[in-house]
Amino acid sequence: MQPKQDFIQTIKENEGIIYKITRVYAKDREDQRDLYQEIVYQLWKSFDTFKGQSKISTWMYRVALNTSIAHLNREKRKGQMVSADFEFLDHLNAATGKIQEPELEAVGADWQAQIDLLYAHIQQLNLIEKGLILLFLEGKPYDEIAAITGFSVSNVGTRLSRIKLKLKKNIQN
Amino acid sequence: MKILWEEMSVKVSKQQQLTDQLIMEMTQQKYSNKFSKLFMYEASGAVVCYIMAIFMLVNMGKLDTWYLLTCGILCVAFLAILPFLTLRSLNRMKGLQIANYNYKETLVRFAKSKKKVLLLQRLVLYISPLFFLIVIPVMGKMFNNKDLFQSDASAFPWVFVGVFFVFIILFSRWGYGCYQSMTNSAENVLKELDE
Repeated sequence: MQPKQDFIQTIKENEGIIYKITRVYAKDREDQRDLYQEIVYQLWKSFDTFKGQSKISTWMYRVALNTSIAHLNREKRKGQMVSADFEFLDHLNAATGKIQEPELEAVGADWQAQIDLLYAHIQQLNLIEKGLILLFLEGKPYDEIAAITGFSVSNVGTRLSRIKLKLKKNIQN
Repeated sequence: MKILWEEMSVKVSKQQQLTDQLIMEMTQQKYSNKFSKLFMYEASGAVVCYIMAIFMLVNMGKLDTWYLLTCGILCVAFLAILPFLTLRSLNRMKGLQIANYNYKETLVRFAKSKKKVLLLQRLVLYISPLFFLIVIPVMGKMFNNKDLFQSDASAFPWVFVGVFFVFIILFSRWGYGCYQSMTNSAENVLKELDE
């Protein structure tokens, strides 16, 4: 019973991480649901193997990002049966600008538009760049980004500088 | 950009949406996995191929000339080996242990596996017209006891064969284009990781 409760607690504490990753990697809303479920499933599958040698968030980022790569390498599913109720994703999307809801107008249309644009620019990046910029925006230090991605710390720095330049250029255009 | 992201993260963290029940439902994988579905399609195809191969092996005795026997053996070889290789490569992709690798390793493994699958599928694409050419005389002999190499040329369904052959070539060319672009994208990932 304990691992199950620990897992639920871990997911609840870090559900924002999963949400942001799915929004960066998924093609559309339906795909976002599939990816969300797949990430939770993969986290559950490998929860026993988490030995606590790294931070729980580092492990979560690693599994979630790897699942996203695997997800992109699979064929588009047709007529899938999602068992869970994914209304919560719509609330999160609404709160962060992906879809508009009248009761959330207070959030500010400009702010929502900016968030949409931010995601749109990140989605234009390639797979390597997406993973790195996401971790950078999450405020992870270079050594933790290196631990999650497998690049050396100096390589993380070089790549991030290039990605920032690329994003800047894209935004200006 | 970072400030905006931080603001958004604060909003997301305030929206605790998941319930215990929902989390556990997601761990059950009640939904049909995409990859399992692809694997199922390929496995069904493999079953059909193996049934055909068994049928040919059982009737191999009917192939009484060296050229028909050669065609028969080649057909059985194609039908037995290609599905096996396809299923093995898909199984390897499916079996990757996600938690054991970092992001870079996962990208490399998927790009390499993808290249292998694409190479194999391209091979299948090239072999299909050849298979089509050799399976007709074999089936002609097995079903009708007719040696199409020896029989009257006017009795042969040339129009049907011609149309089908053109279709296979066009389909192969289209498939080649698709595979080429997918292979390029896998190669680009590998190249960029090396930088």
